[in-house]
Order: sequence, then C-alpha cells, then structure tokens
Amino acid sequence: MDARTRFIILMLTPATVLLLGLTIFPFIASVAMSLSNYSMVTPDSLAFAGLQNYFKLLQAEEFWTALRATALFTVLAVAIQLALGVAIATFLHHETRAVPLLRAIYLLPMAITPVAAVFTFRMMLNPSLGVFNYLLKLVGLPPQDWLGTPAMAMTSLLIVDTWQWAPFILLIAAGGLAAMDEEPLQAARMDGATEAQVFFHHTLPALLPYLGVAIVFRAIDAFKTFDIIFVLTGGGPGVATRTLNLLAYKHGIEFLSMGYAAAIAIVMLAITIIAAQVFLRRMRMFVPRAAL
Amino acid sequence: MNKMKMPTGGLHLTVDRRSFLRATSILAAGGAITLRSGLPVHAQENSAELLKLYADAKVDWQKNKGQTIVLGGLEHPWMNAVVPLIPLFTQLTGIEVKVDKQSETEFSASMPVKLGGGSATPDVFMIWALGQAISAKWLQPLDAFRNDASLFDAAWYDEPDIFSSARSFEKWSDGASYGLAITAEAQTLFMNKSMLDAKGLSAPASMDDLLKLAVALKSEEVAGIAMRAKPTGDAAPWTLAGFVFSYGGAYVTKDGKSGLAMPESIAGLDMYGKLLREAGPVGIASYHWMECLNDFMQGAVAIGCDSSNFATDIEDKSKSTVAGNTLFGVLPASEGKPAKPNMWHWMAGINAKSANKDAAWLFLMWATSKPTSTLAAAVGLATPRGSAWQTSAFRDRFGAQAADAALKNLQAADGDLFKAAWFHPKAPEILDAVGIAVNEVVTGSKDATKAFGDADGKVRQALEM
Repeated sequence: MDARTRFIILMLTPATVLLLGLTIFPFIASVAMSLSNYSMVTPDSLAFAGLQNYFKLLQAEEFWTALRATALFTVLAVAIQLALGVAIATFLHHETRAVPLLRAIYLLPMAITPVAAVFTFRMMLNPSLGVFNYLLKLVGLPPQDWLGTPAMAMTSLLIVDTWQWAPFILLIAAGGLAAMDEEPLQAARMDGATEAQVFFHHTLPALLPYLGVAIVFRAIDAFKTFDIIFVLTGGGPGVATRTLNLLAYKHGIEFLSMGYAAAIAIVMLAITIIAAQVFLRRMRMFVPRAAL
Repeated sequence: MNKMKMPTGGLHLTVDRRSFLRATSILAAGGAITLRSGLPVHAQENSAELLKLYADAKVDWQKNKGQTIVLGGLEHPWMNAVVPLIPLFTQLTGIEVKVDKQSETEFSASMPVKLGGGSATPDVFMIWALGQAISAKWLQPLDAFRNDASLFDAAWYDEPDIFSSARSFEKWSDGASYGLAITAEAQTLFMNKSMLDAKGLSAPASMDDLLKLAVALKSEEVAGIAMRAKPTGDAAPWTLAGFVFSYGGAYVTKDGKSGLAMPESIAGLDMYGKLLREAGPVGIASYHWMECLNDFMQGAVAIGCDSSNFATDIEDKSKSTVAGNTLFGVLPASEGKPAKPNMWHWMAGINAKSANKDAAWLFLMWATSKPTSTLAAAVGLATPRGSAWQTSAFRDRFGAQAADAALKNLQAADGDLFKAAWFHPKAPEILDAVGIAVNEVVTGSKDATKAFGDADGKVRQALEM
C-alpha cells in the first residue's frame, strides 16, 4: 500500500466509522428487529418471526388508515408550502428597503424550537381560551373547533406545518432566483410579455431544479412529521390524523412491540425511497442538462 | 379532629406520638410553606427536631453513606413536594440524591428506552405503567428489603396507616410487591358554586341529574361540563372509567377478558358522550386534563370531573378565578347501582439494574414514611397516609371540603376494576382503544355501541397476543 492510498484510507476512516455507527448499523439492527417478535414486555420470548410483522401490518386496517392520513398530510403540506414559499420569494426578490427585515421575519419560524412553537399553537387553538377563536368572535364569526373534526384537525396541522416550513421553500426559491440569469427575463419584458407570462414561462421553469430539491427534502420531512401531530391532536379525532410515524411510536414506545414498530419504520423508509426515486426520475433532476 | 371514616383504620401512631405531633405542629403553625435552599423554611429551622422522627426507626440509615442515587420522575405534585425535602434525607443517611425530572410525555417516552436498554439509573423512579414494567423485569421486588431488619422497621413505618387501596395496589398478582404508593387520587366532581347558586341548582344525586345539571348550566359564555376526550390512552380512559364502572361495566373483567362489549360499559360511555356533546365546550374532543382544569379555573366551564388532586390548583388564588367558590362532591350513581369513581395511586419502585438498591430502598422508605408524608402533605400533596390527610396543614392547603369529597370517592372506588385494566401488561393497547372510542362518541362519528364494539375487537386481539 503506497503512501497516497494510506492517506486516503486515513482520511476516509472517521467518516466511514461514523456512517457505519450512526446509519448502517442502526439500519441493519432495525431490519433485524423487524424480522423478530421482539417485545420489551416479554423480552425472554425473543424469536425470529420472518416476514410475519410485515404481513400483519399490511393486513391491519390501522396501517392503511395511517397511510392515507400520511399521504394526505404530505401532499397538501408540500403543495401549500411550495405555492406560498415561491410567492413570497418572488415578492421579496424585487429589491426594496424592507426586504432584509422581511426575509429575517419570514425565516424566524424555522429557527424556533418546534415543540415550543407547537405548544404555543395548542394554546392559541384552544376553542374556549385561545386567541384564534377570540379573533373570530371580534369580527362576529362563530368559534371554531380547530382540532375537533377530521377536516378541521388536518387543516390546523397544515396551518402550523406551513407556518414553520414554508420559509424553507422560500429560502431555496430565493437562492434560485438570486442565481438566475436576468437577461432572458428582461428580453421577454422588452418583447411585451406581461409579468405573469414572464413568471410562468421563464422564471418558474428556471426555478424547477431548485424547487425539485426543495420538494424532495420537504416531502420526506412532512412524511415523517411527528411533533406537531403528537402535541396538537395526538392522532385524533378518532384516528383521523394518526400518521405512520405516530403509529410506529404507539407500537414501539407505548406498546413496547419493537419488532412490529421496526416493521412500520422499514415500510416508511421503503415508501420514501420509492417515492423519491420516482419523483427524481420524472423530474430528470440527475440527468445532465446537455442530455435533456 | 376529623371524625370521617378513613379508608384504613385512621391515625395509627406507633412512633413517639409527642415528638411526631410536635414536628407536624411546626409545619401547621407556620401556615404556608415557602422554600429556601431547597428545604422548607420550617424544616430547615427545625431539621434537628425532624431528624429525631426518623432516628426513632430501628433502621441503619447510615448503612449506605457516601453513595449517590438518581431519582427519576415527572413534573408532578409528588416530585414538587418531595424533592425540596431531599436535603433532609441526605442529612439523615449521607446518601446524595440526583433528581432527573421530565415532563409527563417525555418521561413515559424515555423511560422504556432507558430501562429497556439496561440502564442502571434512575435507581428509584415513578412507575408510569406497572404491568409493563413488571413484565419487562424493570422493577426490583421489594419484599427482601422489608424482611431485612437493618433496612425496615415495620412498627415505625406503620403500614396500617396507609390506605387499604394503596396497600392493595402494591401487591402484584404473584404476591410480590414491586412499588410503594406515593399518592392517593380519586375521581371527584367539582362545581362552580356561584353558577349553581345563580340558577338555584344543587349537586347531582344521579347520572341523569348530572346530565340535566350540566345542560342547565350551559350558556353562550360558559360550558356545562368539561372532561377528558383526547383520543390517547393517558387521557379519556381514566375519567370515563368512573362512568363505565358506575354503570356496572368494566374495561377488563376481573377474569381478564374484555368488558367493553358489556351493555353496562356501553351505557357508561353513552352517558359520558351525551354529557360532553350536549353540555361540553367547543373543541372538547381535544381536551386532556390540562384543558379541563384550565377551563374550570378560568370560569369557562361550570362542572369538572377529574382527579381530586386538582383541588390544590383550584383553590390556589394565584392561578384560579374560582378559588373559594368551588363545591367538591362525589361522583353520582347510576340508577340502582353504587357509584364507583375511578382512582389512582402513583407508585415508585427500584430499578432492577440499580447498583445501589439498598440506598434506593432507604430513599423509598423515607419518602413514603409517616414524617415525610406529613411534610409533603403540608404543601398540599395527597399522600396515601391517613395520618397526613388528618393534619390541619394538609386540610388548610388542600381544602377541608375537597379532602372530605376525595376521601368519600376513594372509599367508593373499586380498586380491582382499576387494576384489571391499568395493571395489565397490555394496558397501553387496551387504553388506547378505549381512548379512541371515547373520542369517536364525543365527536359523534360513532355511537357508543359501535365505538365500544370496535374497541372490543382491538382489545380482544391485544389480550390474545
């Protein structure tokens, strides 16, 4: 082994050890656990269970209900945040004096500890003492049961998630806009294109690679949202907002059925990987631009 | 002296009565206790006097001098009352105690991970799910400590002073004891007195009366009644149980089968749902105990029905607008059946992997002893000791009427029905199914028969596993 190879190995070792210890090993352990009947309540009866946990999961109504809730939350959250994030980024792109201050304000939600923010929202959404219903009453509207019906609970979750994560899309879209070549846009304007036409035919297509990355990141994150749902609805009303992540928590941490919970986590991982791959291929994001 | 019949035989003072009464009078005479350097002012000034009470025990308190133990607990009145007294324990034993306090959610989520991973700490912890913890072998049986003469003085500890319900909680089905009771709570009705008076109404005598009362008190500004309805195992099932039990039903029957499909259980759920649908506040479906308590304390709801421990907050003028204006009462009965309010004794136990088990036991015994219970009761903690409930310091802080109502409810409770469900190794699954059913009935998405029918299927499946 020559000195150069030894140097490369030496430099790669810390990262490899970290990767193995923090990612590969826990992943292998999770897969192994999902193939066992491991329950902390009966630790002595640990045995290999094959794919039993997966079969049981796919036959369980609660899994399909949770999958529907997760998909609905993910799709709506990403769509709303995308629209809002791009709109605000475009608005801020036009230089004014207030932009630095506005940008800082818009980015604040991302910097706040999520659980603290969600607890504040829980108080604000309180139907009898919360500020939301107080404001509604001030303008003569009836108080709302923000978390009491499936539709309202999902809407409230989306409001809180959007408040917190639309700035993430904003940040990436603003980066894309800043890197954009202005000349084609100016040429289009000189040719008589309206601002809407410029935006939809030039700006938005040019932003797509950036937004693609933002969508993948945000969708993966929304798919495994936990804190907001746990604190605000606990999965309710009924099981209307019990997402896959909450289901895994229930079975793992509350019921201590670690094998079954690991199977839910592995299925979530599989869904995430497949969905991300399909999206990236459709967007042709990793195809060199020359080949397009 | 309170003449009320206690759940156990009343005050049993086998320790030196004079010194005990003298120490408790130190607290009572001081009125409200303020804190300084972790120890109550009166306790600091009289720590030598107080230490004599423990010195009377024929126990080698200094046996584990120099050791350090970790106490694991959640944000709870017991921790708030006992932690400031720990310097007294350290002075007595030479054992240092580190406190690891978390929120309830954080605690119940982190403890299984910690104990399941074989952690030796915390050495002593509040038990959040007894059946699970025993099945998982996280708890050290306590009987060996009780049989060790250097670690336990039965006469001094005075077990008969502990409520019989609490002593029954401590016995597991295998006859062993895995924890000691640290609190006593019973489901209690609390009503806004001025709202009752304004309409010329009085406390209900039956479940039907309760429904009529709650509906009559409901207005544009104020809800009639608020009780837990959040669809989680730690929320709605506890308060619903008083209704299900009072109608003659059960979550799990005493022979270990699901009782949710029993007509009596369904009737209890039906009444609970009716109360909250017809007289509950907007958004009741997401209410845990905190929202119920807040609404009652702010005068936004006329009636509450939850833990007797709420009395400490309700009667606290600094946070409650209804302090001194609340009527505490018994849970009403359903027709022809005795009322069976739900109950609860928090317990604390020793980590089976602890390296300092003897020191942990000394702490547990100290924390549940008569002197410590009396000190903790003086700041309003409802301990499981009859003697502590009778002290004037406790009755002043907790409220005499609230204490009487809590004791009546505690006497009426059926601990076996509670234990069959909450102490079951599958309790989290059972209670999760019940919590969802309550929420579905309260939101009107299912009727009681359908909701408990579906929950029954889940519980049966869990019990078969």
